[in-house]
Amino acid sequence: MLTQAPKKPSAASPKAGRPRHAMSGTGGRTAALFLTPFFTIFALAMVAPVIYAMVLSFFAQQKSGLGFGEAKTAFVGLENYLQAMQSDSFVSGIGRLVLYCVLYIPCMVGGALAFALLLDAAAARARKLFQLMVFLPHAVPGVIAALIWAYLYTPGVSPIVSVLETGGISLNFLDNQMVLPSIVNIAVWEWTGYNVIVLFTALQAVPREILEASRVDGAGEIRAAISIKLPLILPAVSVIMLFTVIGTLQLFTEPSIISKATASVTSTWVPNMWAYDAAFNRHNLNQAAAASIIIALMAAVLSWTVTRFSSRNKA
Amino acid sequence: MKRRQLLLGAVSLMASAALVAGCGSTPAATPTPTPVEDPTGTITFWSSMAGMDKVAAAFNASQSKIKVIFETIPNGGAGGYAKLSTAITAGNGPDVATIEYPQLPQFVSNGQLQPLDAFINKAETVDKLTDQTKALVQFGDSTYALPYDAAPMIMWYRKDMLDKAGVGVPKTWQDFEEAGKKLKAVAPEAHLASFNPNEAALTAALAWQAGAKWFGTEGDSWKVGVNDEATEKVANYWQKLIDQKIVKVQQSFSDEWSADLASGAVVGVLGANWSATGIQKRTEASGQKGQWIAAEVPNWGSPADAFYGGSSFNITKSSKNPAAAAKFIEFLATSKDAISARGNTGSAFLAYPGLTPVAQKTFDSSYFGNDIYSVFNQAYATITPGWQWGPNWDITNTALKDAYGKLTNGGKVLEAVNSAQGATVAGLKQNGLSVKE
Repeated sequence: MLTQAPKKPSAASPKAGRPRHAMSGTGGRTAALFLTPFFTIFALAMVAPVIYAMVLSFFAQQKSGLGFGEAKTAFVGLENYLQAMQSDSFVSGIGRLVLYCVLYIPCMVGGALAFALLLDAAAARARKLFQLMVFLPHAVPGVIAALIWAYLYTPGVSPIVSVLETGGISLNFLDNQMVLPSIVNIAVWEWTGYNVIVLFTALQAVPREILEASRVDGAGEIRAAISIKLPLILPAVSVIMLFTVIGTLQLFTEPSIISKATASVTSTWVPNMWAYDAAFNRHNLNQAAAASIIIALMAAVLSWTVTRFSSRNKA
Repeated sequence: MKRRQLLLGAVSLMASAALVAGCGSTPAATPTPTPVEDPTGTITFWSSMAGMDKVAAAFNASQSKIKVIFETIPNGGAGGYAKLSTAITAGNGPDVATIEYPQLPQFVSNGQLQPLDAFINKAETVDKLTDQTKALVQFGDSTYALPYDAAPMIMWYRKDMLDKAGVGVPKTWQDFEEAGKKLKAVAPEAHLASFNPNEAALTAALAWQAGAKWFGTEGDSWKVGVNDEATEKVANYWQKLIDQKIVKVQQSFSDEWSADLASGAVVGVLGANWSATGIQKRTEASGQKGQWIAAEVPNWGSPADAFYGGSSFNITKSSKNPAAAAKFIEFLATSKDAISARGNTGSAFLAYPGLTPVAQKTFDSSYFGNDIYSVFNQAYATITPGWQWGPNWDITNTALKDAYGKLTNGGKVLEAVNSAQGATVAGLKQNGLSVKE
């Protein structure tokens, strides 16, 4: 979220003109000096790999015959992109991500909104304690969270599964039907707390006069929450949606860890895992680069759509 | 003015990034091998096998010309090969690496290993191996590795559960199915073994035992037959076992598998000689000492077996001192001191003649109910000859594992094998190799 740079004051005395010029000159140079380290590291660590990946994605290693000779690097244009899009596992991985979003976003955003509005309610007690408890799961690193939940899902090891068994319910959280909701559950557990904080902060910016006016008009807590607070924090909700969509496209950690515990999660279950498999198992770096660029383009298109949608709402 | 500055900044950023990207990594040219009489230097050694740090220390102690720095890496399935392959491509791989037989042709065909011929004493090392073992490490007239272990597939049973079911040790696959049914009758919750969807190499070993030949060369082409007749027979047989719940479909080395071994829900392990330590670790806490025995894998009528796993040592392309690396590899693969230095780890069965008795002496097999090494020796003598690994095992490995993911959802083993055949042929052709089916 970039804030607008403060506009220069239009009214200026002629005397202040020259020193202002001189000041902005030195200010510009000093700023450049301080910014150089950032831009150098940014160029090396963020921009250069992207350009290298784009270059890689247009080439391929060609072998011939038995394949024991030297491989030739040949320019193949969009061949790698076509191979990725024609691969069943890549396309079904994208379909799986769509399904994941359909399950995940309503649950997580709905849950975060509910918690934030409850925390903000006038009748809320022990607000700080509940804020901490809701945020605590987010403090657990993603890999650790996935490992913990893998244990909680594994039959024979999990207390939850054995308690359900004694109650007569035989649930396999890791079979083909249940594994996607199970992974959605891990992500909801991890991220709801974080988004509660974002929404709660947005709620603090709601002017108290409006709420008082609504109370005078006879609105109860729930009515005030739904009709007044919710519309006023919609910008924050759209920001959350943007970050969530981008994050979902990069889903990797949870499926990778769960794939060790069950055969339902294959090694190419989501597009990011497909790219990892192409690069490090099949040693086809060019195809992996093409897949990564495709994922990045999808993220760009989706972010643009979400931003347009939310800015049109604002207007 | 602000916009121009921004534009200028962006352009210079792109230019600098392009320059940096331009110095992309190009793999270093293979140094021409020059035989060195007395190699010296410091070399790095990566391995995921237990006890290799002690072997490296023993080598360092036994002579002062070559110093070995050992680094442990995760095993292949957990990303070890990805790490090795990436490091070699980036130019900072180790001098000596450990690669299992199925993955070896892939590393060779990616140009990531240096041939050993110029640096080793062939008469003392390679020429003493059996033909089958030689075939696993020689490609196109060059030797790319010295084999470490030759791991025959071994079946491990809980003898007490077999006795409870009233069956002897199964000799044929028919006996195995009967034994499974009898076990289910006396212990409905128990399974005679597990079918591991994450172990495609086990499917390959079972097919190998039955006489299948998944990969072969015909002139200048590869011949791929992942779903040939023998493999179909194996696939249909295991589908029967899965359907009758004689074997449980679960990932090997997972928590569920470990819990089932400890509780007795699974009373057999289809593994290899190296499974001993894993079984002991997972079952000794539940008082199963003395109940586990090793046995030859059931066969299709006449004794036959296959290799399941097994590692070799190689010189990677990143090595700047291949002569010293080769000396160390000779020590690792052929010296008795290397075996005894490893200590009480991993019931190894070595490829080089004369080393296995040393391993037998150092390994404490008192946990098991019979003489496991005599079983290993018997099994080793019946290995079916003629098997070859293909140029890219990972394509087949991934395709099989992914297809096995559908087993709990109505998928069949035969379908998985067929789809693996399709994926392998397509994948190899995509890389530009010539393939015949």
